[in-house]
Amino acid sequence: MNAPTVRVLYIDDEENNLHAFKASFRRQYEIYIANSAAEGLKILQNVSVHVVIADQKMPQTTGVEFFKNIAETYPDPVRILLTGYTDIEALADAINHGDIYRYITKPWNDLELHNSIKNAYDAYKTKIDLRNKIAELEKTNNELNRFIYSISHELRAPLVSTLGIVNVVKLEGLFDENEYWRLIETCSNKLDYYIQKTLQYYKNNKNISEITPIDFSKVVPELIELYSYVDKETNFHVDIKQEETFYGDAFRIEVILGNLISNAIAYQKESEENKKVNITVSVNRSSAEITISDNGMGILNEHLEKIFTQFFKSKTNHGSGLGLFIVKEALNKIDGKISVSSDTTDGTTFIITIPNVK
Amino acid sequence: MLNKYRKVMLIDDNEVDLKINSKIITISKLFDEIILCKSGEEGLSYLNNHIDDEENLPDFILLDIQMPEMDGFEFLEVFKKFPKPLKDKCLIAILSSTLDFGDIKKAEASRYVIKLLKKPLFPKELEEVLNRYLIN
Repeated sequence: MNAPTVRVLYIDDEENNLHAFKASFRRQYEIYIANSAAEGLKILQNVSVHVVIADQKMPQTTGVEFFKNIAETYPDPVRILLTGYTDIEALADAINHGDIYRYITKPWNDLELHNSIKNAYDAYKTKIDLRNKIAELEKTNNELNRFIYSISHELRAPLVSTLGIVNVVKLEGLFDENEYWRLIETCSNKLDYYIQKTLQYYKNNKNISEITPIDFSKVVPELIELYSYVDKETNFHVDIKQEETFYGDAFRIEVILGNLISNAIAYQKESEENKKVNITVSVNRSSAEITISDNGMGILNEHLEKIFTQFFKSKTNHGSGLGLFIVKEALNKIDGKISVSSDTTDGTTFIITIPNVK
Repeated sequence: MLNKYRKVMLIDDNEVDLKINSKIITISKLFDEIILCKSGEEGLSYLNNHIDDEENLPDFILLDIQMPEMDGFEFLEVFKKFPKPLKDKCLIAILSSTLDFGDIKKAEASRYVIKLLKKPLFPKELEEVLNRYLIN
């Protein structure tokens, strides 16, 4: 018997109807009655009503006019209009401007009206629940944003300080005196890598995308510069054919190319003397096709299908299992495609196609 | 080219980073004197005290972004109001560990920031910036 209290306001200038209504429904609902729109408004001001029923034909203010008047001040209660068969115009007006949930013809049938009130209350509840859910989600989303910001700052700042200390040790020439320094550096770099990948994954997951013109002859060398900072042994050969303007999501494209370029550097054969990576970009009006091929250690045939899954790691490499997963996720967001061919003698080739969005 | 007497100001609330970065600058001999400030306010009051004392003004300021009370961007807002000669002399680079896209964009948009450097600071990177902007 814990049914919620449903508060119903009924406005009608005919006293008989008001009393009949109250007599029929007072057991199921908390009933408020008013014999004019003005009286009804007074009740709305004092009671939080769920369902409002108004008669159309009333002197001074009609039902539809009343609904129009309260549309902005009291948008939440669900409205039911009582009307005779003849009022087609009023009905059209009510639906178009009064935001009514249902209309009921007079004289009403108790069961029909009862069902309508019940449904109207459900609609009210759904509306309010949805609004609360949205507010809740907005709050969670804001918290998540703050959390991500603090990961990118509070968590990373001390880590970067640690790397700074290792740096000073190197400058002072003490780095090789004790192997622990190298271990600290390796661990710190690994942790930093995970933080950066987590951020990339999160940012990619957000649906915001900013479309800007992209000049591949600028972006590609910049990324190579960025990722070859630690390892200058690999030779890059870049060939870019871009005569059309290319529009795309700069952040995601940089994430995709950045991960592939850093992989191409990281998974070279140690014994290889001529480590090389070829990058070709060709842009036309509808898309850009990018090929990145290396002569590195290659990918085993049985692994090829799994490399884009999260946390996939092969025994021989020391990756995080996130890089190619993020590449694939980012491509999904911008309707891009990727294919890979690889063998352990000649190396790996990735071919990416990204649509030109304009 | 590096024998001209030059000063650098480090503004960072993190004392470990102040220590690390001043050490890196000392070892790499890129500056002759380092002014350490633990907050934006401290940096501003130093500049205020030496406003007409060009000799003692820093040639270069390395500014952190995330600091309590006054952050790097608020520092820049106040810096904007200094007289032109001071602004011309004291070049500013951001030195931060941030990966936040908003921070990076904001830093790049500021007309007083010549470069966004990422922590950890590498002497080579710093030297490149100095060669590019500080050779008179």
